[in-house]
Amino acid sequence: MKLSQLLTLPVALASAVLAIPEYSEHLHLRPLPNGYLYAGFNFTASTTLSAYESQHFRYFPRSLGQILQHSHTQELHLRFALGRWDDESWGSRPRDGRREGGTGVEIWAWLDSGGGRVAVEERWSNLVNSLSGLFCASLNFIDGTKTTRPVLSFEPEGTRGEGGGSMELLHGTLPHEVVCTENLTPFLKLLPCKGKAGVSSLLDGHKVFDANWQTMSIDVRPVCPVGGEECRLEIQQTVDIVLDVERSMRPRDDPIPRPRPIEELECDESKSYHAPDTCYPKRKEGEMAWSLSKIFGTPVRGSCHLADGDEGSDIGIEVLPDRLVNVLHGGSNDTLAPHKQNHDLRLFRLPDSARQHTDIMVSQQVIQQVPLQNQPPLYASRQITGFGQERGGMHAVIRNPHPDQQRIVYLESLPWFLRPYMHTLKVQSHPTNSHDKPTMDVKLEKMYYTPALDRLRGTHLELLLTVPAESTVELTYDFDKAILRYTEYPPDANRGFDVAPAVIRVLPNNTAGNGNGNAQGSYLRTTSLLLPLPTPDFSMPYNVIILTSTVIALGFGSIFNLLVRRFVLAEEVPPSPLALRVAQVAGAVGAIVQSLKGRLRGTEVGQSSGRKAAGGEGGMNGSGGGAKLNESGGKDDWAGGATSQDESRKHR
Amino acid sequence: MALSARLLTLRHSPILLQLPPYLSALCILIGIAWLSILPLNEYSRQTYVSENAILPGQVHTYFGGSEHNVFRAYRQEVYQISQWSEEDRLAALGNVMQEIGLRVAAQPYRFTVAGEEVNGTNVYGLLQGPRADATEAMVLMAAWRNFEGKINYSGVALALTLARYFKRWSIWSKDIILLIPMDSTYGPEAWVSAYHSTTSEVTTTRNISSLPIKAGALQAAVALDYPVGPWGHRFDKLDILYDGINGALPNLDLLNTAVAVASGQMGIGCSIHGMLSHSDSYRDRLTTLAKGVVTQSAGQATGPHSAFVPYHVDAITLKTVGDGWHDEMSLGRTTESLFRSINNLLEHLHQSFFFYILLNANRFASIGNYLPAAMLLAGSFTVTALALWVQSGQVPVEPTAKIAGTGSEEQEPKLEVVKVGEDIALVPAATTKAAEREMLLPTAVVLAVHLAGFVPLYCLNSLHREYLPLALQAVTATSLILPAFTSTALTRQFKTSTQQIQIMQSFSLLLLGATLSTLATLNFSLAFVIGVLASPLSFIRPLPKATDLPFLRSANKQYLYNVDVAISFVSALLHAALSPPVVLCALCWYFGHDVEGVLVEMAKGWAAQGVYTSFVVWAVWWPAWVVGGIVMVSGAVGGAGRQ
Repeated sequence: MKLSQLLTLPVALASAVLAIPEYSEHLHLRPLPNGYLYAGFNFTASTTLSAYESQHFRYFPRSLGQILQHSHTQELHLRFALGRWDDESWGSRPRDGRREGGTGVEIWAWLDSGGGRVAVEERWSNLVNSLSGLFCASLNFIDGTKTTRPVLSFEPEGTRGEGGGSMELLHGTLPHEVVCTENLTPFLKLLPCKGKAGVSSLLDGHKVFDANWQTMSIDVRPVCPVGGEECRLEIQQTVDIVLDVERSMRPRDDPIPRPRPIEELECDESKSYHAPDTCYPKRKEGEMAWSLSKIFGTPVRGSCHLADGDEGSDIGIEVLPDRLVNVLHGGSNDTLAPHKQNHDLRLFRLPDSARQHTDIMVSQQVIQQVPLQNQPPLYASRQITGFGQERGGMHAVIRNPHPDQQRIVYLESLPWFLRPYMHTLKVQSHPTNSHDKPTMDVKLEKMYYTPALDRLRGTHLELLLTVPAESTVELTYDFDKAILRYTEYPPDANRGFDVAPAVIRVLPNNTAGNGNGNAQGSYLRTTSLLLPLPTPDFSMPYNVIILTSTVIALGFGSIFNLLVRRFVLAEEVPPSPLALRVAQVAGAVGAIVQSLKGRLRGTEVGQSSGRKAAGGEGGMNGSGGGAKLNESGGKDDWAGGATSQDESRKHR
Repeated sequence: MALSARLLTLRHSPILLQLPPYLSALCILIGIAWLSILPLNEYSRQTYVSENAILPGQVHTYFGGSEHNVFRAYRQEVYQISQWSEEDRLAALGNVMQEIGLRVAAQPYRFTVAGEEVNGTNVYGLLQGPRADATEAMVLMAAWRNFEGKINYSGVALALTLARYFKRWSIWSKDIILLIPMDSTYGPEAWVSAYHSTTSEVTTTRNISSLPIKAGALQAAVALDYPVGPWGHRFDKLDILYDGINGALPNLDLLNTAVAVASGQMGIGCSIHGMLSHSDSYRDRLTTLAKGVVTQSAGQATGPHSAFVPYHVDAITLKTVGDGWHDEMSLGRTTESLFRSINNLLEHLHQSFFFYILLNANRFASIGNYLPAAMLLAGSFTVTALALWVQSGQVPVEPTAKIAGTGSEEQEPKLEVVKVGEDIALVPAATTKAAEREMLLPTAVVLAVHLAGFVPLYCLNSLHREYLPLALQAVTATSLILPAFTSTALTRQFKTSTQQIQIMQSFSLLLLGATLSTLATLNFSLAFVIGVLASPLSFIRPLPKATDLPFLRSANKQYLYNVDVAISFVSALLHAALSPPVVLCALCWYFGHDVEGVLVEMAKGWAAQGVYTSFVVWAVWWPAWVVGGIVMVSGAVGGAGRQ
C-alpha cells in the first residue's frame, strides 16, 4: 500500500508540474530591421505556497523568498533597464512592454496593508533595503520622496486565494541608477543553473551591456491554477536585449571599429563620380548573417535540464519561413530539427545533455518579402522645454497611429524639486497628418494628483484620457525649479537631476479584449529626463568663506579691540567689582567664623563679649578696602582673631 | 557722528567742487589705459583645461583610411545636390542621412527681417547613442551656406562622413545630432529656439515650426566651416569662432579643448579673429584683444554656433583658413577627438570661465582683470553726475545790482562778520547759497528724450531694407537738430534755470553710468565701447557767452558776436561728430563695411536673434547724447533765463 502510494507520488507531482512547470527557460530570437537582433530570455520557476511558507525552496530562490516573507510582499516587480527601444524602426515592444522598466531601476510591489500606513512603509523600506543588498543596486535610496502610490497604472498580475488580506501598491524609481554587470551577476545567481548551462549561459555581462536596449525584470506573483489545485508562487525572470549584430560580431581581440580596409568597402558603382579613390557606400541589402556563438561569444552550453518531465530549455526563432536556419548541436555537424513550427516561429528544444553545445547559424540572404512589423500601440516622447534656471516646461507627445481611439493612463512621478503648476496643465490633440485642423482640448476622464511636499514626498500625477484615432496628443505644463540646500546637491551637481520616465499604460480595448493576458493592457515608457537646477558655484563659496573670514578676523578683531579697550595708567585701574564682591563675602564669612569661635570660647571660659565684637569690627573694616586691602584685611582679621585668642588665653 | 559732520563740512570745500571733472577724466584715462596693459604677461594668463573629465587629445583617433574615399564620394554627392532645386536638395540630404542610419527630420522656418522674407529648412538627423539614455545630446553642425554665403561643400560632406563613422561606435554617452541648416544665422536660430520651446508662437517676424524629433539636454555644439568644392583645398590653420549673440561666450574649456586637440594632437595651428600670423608679441595680442572687443560689442552672430550660446549651450565654429598642408581628414580627426572629449563630460561645462578676453589662442584675461576698465568708464559719468547734483543745490549769491564792467576791480574776497556768543570772526562770505531743486522739468525732459530713442530704434529695425539708409540719414538730421531745437524751446518757453539744466544733465549721466556698469557685467565690450564713445558727455557744460569771458571784456559788440558764433560752431561740430549715427557711419567707413549692409545686419540681429546692441545705442547712448546737446546749447541760446 505504502509502496504504491510512493510510486504514484511522482506521477501526481508530474501532473501538477505539467499544469505549472516548476522550472522552464526560453530564449526568443527575432531579427529586427537595420541589422539588430532581439533576444528575450525568460526563466520561470515556481513553488507551492505551502512549501514557500514552510521555507522549503527548490527552484524558487531562497534569498529572494526570505526577503519577500520578511517584508510581507504579495507581489513584486523589479526592473533594471538601460538604453531605449526604438519603436519607430523596431515596432512594438516585446511582451507588450509589461516586462520592461524605465531607464535605471523601477520597482513596484503589493504589500500586506495590515497594520496601517506606518507598517506598510516599514515593510516597503525593509523590502527595498534588502533588495538593494541582494542586487547591488542603490534601491535603498528609494525613500518617501521617490515612492508613489499609483491608482490606475498597475494592477496585480497574480491570482489570489480567498485568504489574502488587503494589499497596498507602492512604486519607486531610480532613474539615475546605471545598470551594470554587478546587477546581472546576482540576477543570474537566482537561477537554478546560475548561468552555467542552458540559455542563461549566453548572458555575459560584456554582451548584455553592449546592447542598444536592455532590460532585466523579476516578477513574483501568486498563481492559482483553475483546477482547484494548490496555489503556487511563481517567479519570472526575463532579460530582453537588442543587439547591434555588426557590433556584437566584431572579433573580441579587435573590438575597435576602425575604418574598414578599402577592399572591403562596398561601393555604389552607379554613381557618376565612382572612382578607385571615391566610394559612395552601398546601402545594405538583405538580412545579415549571424550566429549565436559570434554574437554572444559562446554557443549555448548544454541545457538546464533539472527534472524529468519539465519542459527544460527551448529556443524560439522568429524569422520569415524562407530564411534558412541551421541549428548545430554537439560540435559535430548534426543539425537539430525544429520541435515545433508555425508560420514565423520555429521552436528548438535543447537536448537534455549537459555537455553538448548548441549554436544557431543564420546566413546572409536577400529576401524580398518584408517581415511584418507590429506597430506599437502608441509612440510617446517627453521633453523638458525652456532654458534658464528658474522655470521650465514639460512637453509630452503621444501619437496614436491606429484607426481606433485608445484609452490610456499616463503616470508621472516627479521629484519634489520640480514643482509643477497644475493650472497650466494642457492636454490637446490634433490629427497627426493634417496640421491645418485646429487643436482640441482632450477631456481628462480621471485625474489623480498628489502634490509634492518639500523633502518629504514627490509629485504623483495620473491621468486617464483617450487618445483619438490617428492623432497626436500633446501634454504640457509649466514648472518651477526649486533651489536646494547646498548639502543636498550630489557631487555632480552640474549634470542636472534625473526625472523618472513617464509610464503610459494603454488600457485593453473593451471590444477586443477577451484574453486574460490582455487584461493588463500594454505599457510603454518615455525616456528619462535631465533637469538642470540652479547650482551654486561650489568652489566659490569656499574661497569667499576663507577670504572673508580672514579679513574679518584680522580687521574686525583688531578694530573691535581698539574700540572697546580703554587705556589707563596702572594706578588708575579700579578694582574689579567681582573681586570686591568676593572680598566682601570672604570678610563676612570670616567675621561669622570669628564670632562663632568667640562664642564657643565664651561658653567655655566665659570670655567677655566686648573683645569678640572688636575682632568682628576689625574684620568688617578690613573688608571695606580694595582687593589687596581686603586680603590684608582678612589677614589682619585672622591675625586680630589670633591676638584676641591669645588675649583670651592670657585671660585664662 | 564726528565723521559725518566732517564730511558735511566738505560740501563747501572749493577743492572738492573743482575736483570732479579731473576725477572723471582720470577715470576715463585709466579705464582706457587699463585695456592696454592686459596683453602683458603679468595681467593675462595661459589658458588651461579646467574640467578634468574632458581629457583633450587623450584618445587615439581612427578617422582615416577608407573613410577618406567615403568623404570624397560624399563631397561629390553634396556638389551634385547643390545643383538641384531646394526641395530635391533637402530630400537628398535627408536620404543620405537615412542611409547612414540616423533618424531624420526637417524643420521649415520663416523670418521677416527688414521687410524681406527669409525662408529655409533645417535638415537634421539624430544618432542615438547606442548605450545612452537620451538625457544628453551634442550637436555636429555644418551649415549649407557658411557665414559668408559660400556653399559649405566639404563641411557638409565631412559632417556626413563623421556621422557615418560615429554610428559604428558604441562609446557615445550622449546622442549626436547632425544639423544641416540652410544658412548660418536663421537656420541655427530657428532650430535651437524650437528645441527649447514647447510650441513656437507665430509672430510677425518669425514663424518656426516645432521639431518632430528631439533628444536630451544639449551639452555642446560644434560647427564645421569648410567651403571647399569637390576639387579640394588644403588649409593652413583653424580659425575658432566663439562669440555668441550679445557677446555671450561659450565656456573657455570648450575653446581650450578645441585648441588643445587641434594644435596639441593634430598639429594644426589655431587662430582667433582671423589673426593668421600671431607672433604673440604685445602688438599682436593687443590687436586680437581689440578685435575681440569690437566683435563682442557688436553682439551680432559670428557664425552658425552663435545662436546656441544664449541658450547656455556652449558652441564654437571651426573654420578653415589659409593655404597649408592640412586636409579634410585632419579636420575630421580633430572633430572626432573633440567629440570624444565632449562625450567624456559628466556634467554640463561649468568649470572654466564664461567671461574672458582672448589675447591669443592660448592666452586670456579673466573678468577680474578686465572688468575694472568698463566700470571706471561708467564711474566717470557717475562722478560728474554727482558733482552736478551737488552744484545744482548751490545757487550763486548774486550781488543785488551788478553791472558788467563795474565789478572788474573787485579782487579781494568778500568778508563777512560772524558772531557766535562772545566771539566775533571775519570769514570769507559764501559765494553760494543752498537752493531748493526744481526737478520736475529735468525729469520730464530726460524721460521724454529716452522715450524718443525708441523712434529711431523702431525705424531702423522694422523698415524695409531699401529705406534703411534713408532712415539713417533722417535720424542723423533729426538728431543733429533736436538738441538745439529742444534747448531753444526749453529756454524760451520754460525759462529753464542753470540749476534745472544741471539737474537734467546729472540725471542723464547718472542713468548712463548706472546702465553701463550693469551692462558691463553682461557684455563688457559693449559697455566699454559705449563708455568710450560717450565719455566726452561728462565734460559738456553750457556754452559760455563771449561777454562772460574775462579776457574779452573790453572787446566791441561785433567782435563778441563773432566769438559767440565761432564758439557755437566749433562746439556744435564737435558734438555732432560724437553723435551715435555719425559715429556709426564713421565706424562703417573705418572697417570698410557698407552702411546699408550694417543696418540690415543690425535689423536682422534685432528681429531674428534678439541682439540688444541697437537698443543700447538708441535707448541709452543716443538720449544721453541728446541731453548733452541740450545742455550745451542752453548756454548759447539762454542767458536771459539764468538766475
